[in-house]
Amino acid sequence: MHRLRLAVVSMVLLAMLLPGLSTVSAQQNRIVVYSALPDLETSLVHREFTRRTGIQVEALVVPAAGTLQARIRTEKDRPRADVFVGGDRALHIPLAREGLLLRYRSPAAAEAKIDPAYLDPDGYWHGWYLGTLSIIINTERWDRELGPRGVRKPASWDDLTRPEFRGHFVMPSPVTTGGGYIFLAAQIFRLGEDRAWTFMRALNANASQYTPTAPGTIALLERGEATVAMMWAHEAVGARRLRYAPLEVTVPPDTGFEIGAVSIIRGGPNPDGARAYVDFLMSRTPQDINARFGFRYAVRADVGVPAGATSFEQLKFVKYDLDWAVQNQTRLRERWTREIGR
Amino acid sequence: MSVLRWGEVRRQAADPGLLLTFFGAAAILGLFVLYPAFRVLTYPSWRDYLSIPQSLRWVQAARNSLVMMVISTCSATLLGLVFALAVTRPDMPGRRFFRGIAMLPLFAPPFMVAFAYILMFGRQGLITRTLFGLDVNIFGWHGLWLVQTIAFFPLAMIIIEGVLEAINPSLEHAARNLGASEGAVVRTISLGLARPGITGAMLVVAISVLADFGNAVLIAGGFPLLATEAWFRMEGMGDLKGAALVVAMLLVPTTALFLLERYWVSRRVYTTVTGRGSRIERPPTPTALKWGVGVICTLASLMIVLVYFGVIAGAFTAVWGRDWSPTLDHWRLAADRFATLWTSMKIGALAGIMTGGVGVVVAFLTSRHLPLRQFLDFLAVLPGALPGVFVGVGFVLAFNATVLGGTFWILVIALGFWHLPMGYQAAAARLKQIDRTIEEAAVNLGATGLRVLWDVYLPLLLRALVEAFAVSFIRAVTNVSIVVFLIAPGQLVATFVILGMIQSNTWGAAAALTTMLLLITFVAIGATSLTAGRFVRAPAMG
Repeated sequence: MHRLRLAVVSMVLLAMLLPGLSTVSAQQNRIVVYSALPDLETSLVHREFTRRTGIQVEALVVPAAGTLQARIRTEKDRPRADVFVGGDRALHIPLAREGLLLRYRSPAAAEAKIDPAYLDPDGYWHGWYLGTLSIIINTERWDRELGPRGVRKPASWDDLTRPEFRGHFVMPSPVTTGGGYIFLAAQIFRLGEDRAWTFMRALNANASQYTPTAPGTIALLERGEATVAMMWAHEAVGARRLRYAPLEVTVPPDTGFEIGAVSIIRGGPNPDGARAYVDFLMSRTPQDINARFGFRYAVRADVGVPAGATSFEQLKFVKYDLDWAVQNQTRLRERWTREIGR
Repeated sequence: MSVLRWGEVRRQAADPGLLLTFFGAAAILGLFVLYPAFRVLTYPSWRDYLSIPQSLRWVQAARNSLVMMVISTCSATLLGLVFALAVTRPDMPGRRFFRGIAMLPLFAPPFMVAFAYILMFGRQGLITRTLFGLDVNIFGWHGLWLVQTIAFFPLAMIIIEGVLEAINPSLEHAARNLGASEGAVVRTISLGLARPGITGAMLVVAISVLADFGNAVLIAGGFPLLATEAWFRMEGMGDLKGAALVVAMLLVPTTALFLLERYWVSRRVYTTVTGRGSRIERPPTPTALKWGVGVICTLASLMIVLVYFGVIAGAFTAVWGRDWSPTLDHWRLAADRFATLWTSMKIGALAGIMTGGVGVVVAFLTSRHLPLRQFLDFLAVLPGALPGVFVGVGFVLAFNATVLGGTFWILVIALGFWHLPMGYQAAAARLKQIDRTIEEAAVNLGATGLRVLWDVYLPLLLRALVEAFAVSFIRAVTNVSIVVFLIAPGQLVATFVILGMIQSNTWGAAAALTTMLLLITFVAIGATSLTAGRFVRAPAMG
């Protein structure tokens, strides 16, 4: 009995020591990155960053930018991460406003002549990729159910309200996802608020589900749970090229978009390393990796359009008033719940 | 009596080691149980609380959660009752088989039933589409209802079974002799005396349904629920205040149910008073009842087998729904993530040690006649009332900005203390069975309070300790509701990765990793049964 008790106690002590040892051996020359981009792109970009600068990267990859934003907020008295990368700038702006980000203007951005529209005038975030909202069709299900009935494929947002699509449509919820909200705001910028709600009600008649997470939409569509979806174009292109999903992407006129940002967290352990990271993201290689494996548009002019994506010149963006969209977010989400009710 | 007690208090007050341990335990419980809860409740301002009724989304989520609670609780308890009837009738064919099968959902990761039923009954479902060519949408409240019924009825079964088992067969014979029909005996004796058990089962199941995160996050679709809304708020928008509000709303019904169960129902047990134990056989079960119960149990057992079959088959099928050829490819992808399984097991082991160790110490302390011991007892059982998402948000708010934040210790402590009631209650129950004279002998020989714990009680409690460790370990390894809020860089755990894989359609690898989790679970059960010398019960929740 004595021996057994001693064994238990020594196991406890040993287990307590183990994780401690591993943190002691951690290197000084490293940065911690919170990444909202998928694993593949993140790890490729980081491998290249370490090769170029010698700085090790420890990444927390959560393809849900809100989680990371919340995390940075709760860690504000003791920041653990140096860099927050990925997610629309709308997720970085509140952090800047709360004083949690470090101001920085990367000389690499000026050198690369990046369009100032992609950079924060105050220097809190740098945009380094672009994503667009699109209409996506599951061609397998389309050919089985809607094609034979001679239904025309949707080419504009208004087409989505046609009665043929009743029960066939899915999109991310505007209440719980950034993409869904950008879509709602884009409709208001396109049609004016009153007509936008009329449009939303008509669209609602077709919707089978508003997924609470953004990846949920593409997952449903890929499996044929739905036929038509509103979703980020790069997600669909990626699903088609990496998983051979039978998806077809159309970017309609007046589309909404995201500017994927990177920002430096104030008070992080390694601000110099963080600056080097932002400089690196402004360079060609990481943007090329992101275009190749994440199918997002680069903000640099010298990186090609992602394979299988609409050419940049053909894209027609809605005139998106970011400030208005951010200020009216709570009100619009509340109104959505009231008018659409799900 | 009171004179004696005061003497004891004075004697133990003279034992500084014991008193120190007492205050240490109270401080630790306060820090890791009360403080996070306090942080959640005070994070939103009173104005935020007042605005709840105006926000339609909150109202919807609350209403939906309550509706699910009512329907899933009723169906799960009913099914549990049927199973309990089956397994307590000695003349019921296959009763041992039914019992064994019914225990299985308790050992499944908390998202597994939903995952398996999407594979079985979804649009790509093996049964719905491939077998019957149906086009079924399983996402929504109806899918969740089915899943929660299967996932939680075993809890009801165990509780009701305990009550039915205790009914003295001679009462049933007496009723028969007095002219009651077979059916009337079951109705008036078995079910009548089981009533408090049924109520208790309903309360326990209701808490589990309300707190159910894993199944809801996978299968509820666009149906807002309180348990998942907190996570969606965090995940999509970084809205911590919203998350805190939602889990605070969730806490009200779970605490109410918990207090009701603990301080009211569990004290109203109907005892049948007889002079001595009875060895009479139970009267035969009515044939109609036997058939009805048998058919329902067979169908439900089939549904449970499908849970395990679906996930394991998914791990070896090329493309679910399209290409049914067997493959090992998913295992290659899953092998890249085996490191996360190792992290999960480390966290689980440490959480298990914490649950067992703290549980035994606190149980020992509350068995002493110390001031405020009721308070300590309350703190040790309180985590049972807290939904996992509540604990997750609580630890984020309370400890993310401390040394614990971003390490895996935050997860170990969150899980270890969340499972504390299991360790504590197991140890406390064992302690009550131990004769005080053993301790008195030790004390007379000059042992101090702590020496008594170490030399007398610890060896006797070892079995309870090992069981508490196993249950806490299994639940920690398979937890999702707390883990999603607390993952840290370099410390990803398996369940978090699996959830991501399921949501991004990487079903094969997700199924492979889940199969590995099952393997770990059953190895842990096997090892514990060998050590503790009997089968482990693992209540599932959250």
